[in-house]
Amino acid sequence: MAASEHIVGRGIGNKLILFTVVLVAVIWMLPIAWAVILSFKSNAELMISTGSAFHPPYTIKNYADIFQTSGVFRWLWNSTVVSVGVTAGILILSSLAGYGFARAEFKGRDVIFVLVLLGLAVPEQAVIIARHQMFSDLKMHNTYPAIILPGLSSAFGVFLMTQYFKAIPKDIDEAAMLDNASRFKIFWKVLLPLTIPAQATLGIFSFLGAWNDYLWPLISATKPEMFTITVGIASTQTNFAQSEGLGFLMAQAVFAGLPVFIVYLFFQKYIVRAVAGAAIS
Amino acid sequence: MTDVTLSSGKATARPRRPSGASIGPRWTNALFVAPYLVFYLVLLVYPLFKGIWMSMLQSDMFDDTSKFSGLANYTRLFNDKVFIGTVWNTTLFVLMTVPVFVVIGLLLALALNRSDRTAATLRAIFFGTSVMSVTIVTIIWQMMYMPDNGAINGVMRFLGLQPIPFITSSSLALVAIAICTIWWIIGLPMMLFLAALQQIPGELYEAAALDNASRSRSFWSITLPSIKRTLLVVIIFEIVAQFQLFGQAWLLTRGGPNNASRPIVLFIYEQGFRAWNLGYAAAASEVLFVIMAIAALVQFFVSRKRVEG
Amino acid sequence: MQVSSIELDSVSKRFGSVEVISELSLTIHSGEFIAFLGPSGCGKSTLLRMIAGLETVNAGEIRIGGERVDHLPPGARGVAMVFQHYALYPHMTVFDNLAFGLKNIGTSKDEIGRRIEEAARILEISHLLQRKPGQLSGGQRQRVAIGRALVKDPKAYLFDEPLSNLDAALRVRTRVELARLHQQVRATTIFVTHDQVEAMTLASRIVVMNARKVEQVGTPMDIYGRPATEFVARFVGSPAMNFLAAQIRDRGGLASAVLGDGSVIDTDVPVTALPAGGELRVGIRAEAIRARPDGALPGQVEVVERLGDRTHLHVRLMDGSTIVAEDKGASQVKPGDAIRLAVEGATAHLFDADGLAYHARQ
Repeated sequence: MAASEHIVGRGIGNKLILFTVVLVAVIWMLPIAWAVILSFKSNAELMISTGSAFHPPYTIKNYADIFQTSGVFRWLWNSTVVSVGVTAGILILSSLAGYGFARAEFKGRDVIFVLVLLGLAVPEQAVIIARHQMFSDLKMHNTYPAIILPGLSSAFGVFLMTQYFKAIPKDIDEAAMLDNASRFKIFWKVLLPLTIPAQATLGIFSFLGAWNDYLWPLISATKPEMFTITVGIASTQTNFAQSEGLGFLMAQAVFAGLPVFIVYLFFQKYIVRAVAGAAIS
Repeated sequence: MTDVTLSSGKATARPRRPSGASIGPRWTNALFVAPYLVFYLVLLVYPLFKGIWMSMLQSDMFDDTSKFSGLANYTRLFNDKVFIGTVWNTTLFVLMTVPVFVVIGLLLALALNRSDRTAATLRAIFFGTSVMSVTIVTIIWQMMYMPDNGAINGVMRFLGLQPIPFITSSSLALVAIAICTIWWIIGLPMMLFLAALQQIPGELYEAAALDNASRSRSFWSITLPSIKRTLLVVIIFEIVAQFQLFGQAWLLTRGGPNNASRPIVLFIYEQGFRAWNLGYAAAASEVLFVIMAIAALVQFFVSRKRVEG
Repeated sequence: MQVSSIELDSVSKRFGSVEVISELSLTIHSGEFIAFLGPSGCGKSTLLRMIAGLETVNAGEIRIGGERVDHLPPGARGVAMVFQHYALYPHMTVFDNLAFGLKNIGTSKDEIGRRIEEAARILEISHLLQRKPGQLSGGQRQRVAIGRALVKDPKAYLFDEPLSNLDAALRVRTRVELARLHQQVRATTIFVTHDQVEAMTLASRIVVMNARKVEQVGTPMDIYGRPATEFVARFVGSPAMNFLAAQIRDRGGLASAVLGDGSVIDTDVPVTALPAGGELRVGIRAEAIRARPDGALPGQVEVVERLGDRTHLHVRLMDGSTIVAEDKGASQVKPGDAIRLAVEGATAHLFDADGLAYHARQ
């Protein structure tokens, strides 16, 4: 790809453009930088003027206070449970179903597959009210299952895994059949290990999606001890015009954003590759 | 050389009856898709139809019953000024954001389509914002937009200029949400375009260079046509996504001032989970579904014609 | 396990509404090395896969060792297959690849170890047992694929174009090794290929197929010397057989072919066997046409192909048709030379309009 940088048109490749983009990137990060700086100032000073953020004194009291009074830890724990649950559920269900649609023949398979694909077109809002009613009737709100289960009905994972299974050459299945492997053994021992890249992609997508989900946890987890991190942080923004407790607010937000930030730092290459991979299919 | 037989020393028959898989349809194979199908039917298909049913009920808050009322909720919706306003707001929002997503996303992808470390870091920065949750993003932007203490207005005052009433002005509220949204999710269109650009074979550009094509000529005649499919995907995807605007509006402006920035989903949320008019909210959600489907289909067919024509 | 015979009894196969194989019957003897030869799409792979159980059989029976198998799953038929692209399990070591099938039927660990050790020794892959397929060369992967079949000690070995993915030099070497292996193991083997050299050199019998029909079943020399149809005559032997339009004259009970320019080729084909009237063509291989100053056929040399041990001369005859003749390796003939060709009519065949062949009396 480096050679074609000198070729016209592939990317607008000269230094001026790059410099402009760097400038834009710096400006892009300013809102985050601003929020972080605010988190290191005392609430009292900020109440007077947020301009005080530009000069010392800075303090870590806000972060210390998190350990005392904030529900952030509880919320982070809830989000972890929910996200892990959703991710595990999706990986298991989608892998099984993907293999079923791609390789295991049964009557009506192709019709059912198309019907499942249609599910991709259904937006969350069209089903959310009915779902809420269903869980209300079962008195299941404010439980982990209530937050986790709806996410498992997404057709995206099934679509992804089916495509991936289909791409594996069929002669491996045939060799395994001649090797006397049962259907399940072909799935479990032969094909599934070959889908690890797709599992990673799907796992990352599902985890991030569940972690950042807002609407469903908002209406299902109404008790503060069941809040996920998104709902919890939102609950701290009681009045957008208020300015007391600003430093603490920011510290909470920064703290809440740390897990995803760390995950992104470490797995950024994989996440980017996952998105690019999904984009091509 | 001695005759080699692998059966030497093995007088017994096969250890166990073989029970391997066969080709051809078996009903037992359906067991692979059964677990997922259960979730699909119970938590997606059933709620979909139940929602339609609910949209045709009117509940009486006082005696906790609901009665079938046909299309009454829908009639009420079409006469509801607030609801019409939300449809208008949401459409405006989509028209504001989608072109920007496409243009800026493509520009970034073009500028960063190189293999050095700087570009990789820049790509990570622009994509990084999209892994944050909506609640954190809105907190950050509240700090930018606040009328007195916000960063933007602080700078304005420092420069001696008038402060901009982002979230307190009915004309600017939607714009404020749009800017915040674009900052948040620009990474995704950028990535999609990047992937498409990298699929273009280098030989096309080499041939164009040999044909003395200028840089802009190459762009319009080679780059753009090659990414047509991705362009369509990005447009449809963003239309569908931005029609579902909720979190940013709820958390930044609460839909105000004066319903100026209330999107459809916020209407649904407030009707369904604050006012507990479930039937009414369900009807609104069905209308949203239809609008989104129409918008996506229209875009799809318009682009199809443009590709062929 | 005992190596077994394989019988195909009026076997038919349909894909949708298209009948691909039609009432095909064939007996493969125990321990025989037989080749299914033909161009792509002729049905040879389909036939092989039907025997393996990877394709359904719509009518007829398949019997292995006398037992009916066409309703059994692939694993239960006692056959082993070597795939064109080897189909090794990429994430398992070579050892695990070989052990997989044996583990599935509950073979003891000792037995598995013993069999793998022996197969690895025969195929010279003992040093590769802990590697994964991705770390192996094409030739090594192919041996592992063969090893996977060997350890099962099957009733029959099925090879689906196993040499197609190897480069030319490796292909020749592997051919010889396969021949040696068959002499050691003496198992019933079906070898599917589109390469007539492979079929001729390896098999004791060849089934020549074209457009899903069997054109001929016979030993390599039968196929070569007495091809049943024009297709077989063209497909086997390099360069391809020459075909010339001719009028037939009776020469005391034997046919003489009169070519367009008047020259005559005396064949040993009995006139009585030939169909009355109609167009006939005479088929002669290049090695039966030599350049000689007293040859009966005049012509002009167009292309000279030197192969070292012999030379192929592409000659245009007086009536405009071209034939390929053979000359010695040190031939001095140049393109453009006028030349006279002598034809050995005793080995000539005659072909009718339907492609049926008529041979010299034995």
